[in-house]
Amino acid sequence: MLITVSRQTGSMGEEITHQLARNMNIRLLTRDMAMSNVFPDVASRHEMHMLAESPAFFLAKSSEGLTFAEHLEIRLKAQVEQGPVIIFGMGAQIVFADHPNALHVRITASPQVRIQRIIEKRGLELRDAERFMTLSDRKHKRYISTIYSKDWSDPFLYNVILNTDNLGIDEAAQFIQCMAEHRQSSALPAEVPAAAEEQGQQVIFKHPSEEEFARILDMHGLDWEYEPRTFPIQWDAEGNVTQAFSPDFYLPKFDTYIELTTMDQRYVAQKKKKVQALRKLYPGTNVNIVFKRDFNTLVKRFGLMKEAESNE
Amino acid sequence: MSKSGPGKVVFTQDQIMERLKEVAAEINRDYEGQDLIIVSVLKGAIYFVADLTRHLTMPLKIDFLSTRVPSEASKKNGGGIQFVKDLDYDLQGQQVLLVEDVIGTGLTLGLVRQHLEAAQPASLKICTLLDNPAGRLLPIQIDYCCFTMPDLYLVGYGLDHEEEYRNLPFIVEFRRG
Repeated sequence: MLITVSRQTGSMGEEITHQLARNMNIRLLTRDMAMSNVFPDVASRHEMHMLAESPAFFLAKSSEGLTFAEHLEIRLKAQVEQGPVIIFGMGAQIVFADHPNALHVRITASPQVRIQRIIEKRGLELRDAERFMTLSDRKHKRYISTIYSKDWSDPFLYNVILNTDNLGIDEAAQFIQCMAEHRQSSALPAEVPAAAEEQGQQVIFKHPSEEEFARILDMHGLDWEYEPRTFPIQWDAEGNVTQAFSPDFYLPKFDTYIELTTMDQRYVAQKKKKVQALRKLYPGTNVNIVFKRDFNTLVKRFGLMKEAESNE
Repeated sequence: MSKSGPGKVVFTQDQIMERLKEVAAEINRDYEGQDLIIVSVLKGAIYFVADLTRHLTMPLKIDFLSTRVPSEASKKNGGGIQFVKDLDYDLQGQQVLLVEDVIGTGLTLGLVRQHLEAAQPASLKICTLLDNPAGRLLPIQIDYCCFTMPDLYLVGYGLDHEEEYRNLPFIVEFRRG
């Protein structure tokens, strides 16, 4: 039996999952366990720090030649082979998407309810709770999109989605247990709709201009990867990374990174500094900036995105 | 508000011809005793190719490519830039010189270079009339360059504005009003 649980912050997903593990008396694997049990075997202290900070670093290769995401997948699969287990987070709903007996659960709640729970649990002011929820959601979404190029909120990734606005912890845990046991007894093969699979392969861009630039690269037949690598560019006295830079695109055939500065020109100087720091710290790394004017020229030339033309 | 149209001359006909002869001499030296296939992308480089090749001394053939931005419908389906005129000659094992009018971001050059490399030439070098290295996004080596592009919109000597002004014998700034 395998249950994967993905949750929104403030949905009580964590409490429900722990209750579920206690009720069913089966093992629970969490991100904290992975950080303390999986990565210390393959990651240096600096790499551990990067893994805690940057989803993109999961795609970096360890000294053993595998990416850290691959290390995590191997260890999770080994755990699943050992018997019934619940996996909390870590993209397990994608890693085990084709597992025949898996139950993939997503636990959600409305923003208002989640914010209220965050205020009560963490003693935050309303504004800080809203900010906390937004940042947490963004981090979860980014982890999945960066490593697996999937949309965390895609309902097709899950067998069941629970809205806990009006559900208690025990009630939700019992519901999941009932579903898991029923699934185990009926041993239904997992069915993944082809359309959903295709949909999930789409890259999630942070800004429409990035999507337009990707289209321009596609039109030129140039292979690209979206934010495949994060470069640490500033460290504190203890050697902890305090600033990192993830260029928007990597063009493998030209071994070149490209960063767009089309959104807010106030950040141009800041991005230029980051690019300069990257070039200095990683000699031989090709990285170029697309400025707003150049971007608009390209977009206009290839007849894309009308609003860019009007910005000229 | 300034009037739209050709403005001050940036490169005179004499300057172009003088520099073109210098570049042709470099190419003659590098390809001495070898056959060459000149490939150019229509239409901006037509005058440059015509004048340059008249100063080249090795046996050579001239071929042209022509590209087209995909239609709206094709773009929606992920269609890319198409070669509406492909090469007439087989480039496999040949010395090839790609002649361009302007190299800016290098994206189109990247597309063309990939296309030519797929034909497996023995060598592939790049010659351009105008180069704008400051705007380059792809690290592509330019082997022969006549002029560095000023930060101006230029027309003449093959360069156009909405298909006009290509036939000017010099290169001028174009004021867009």
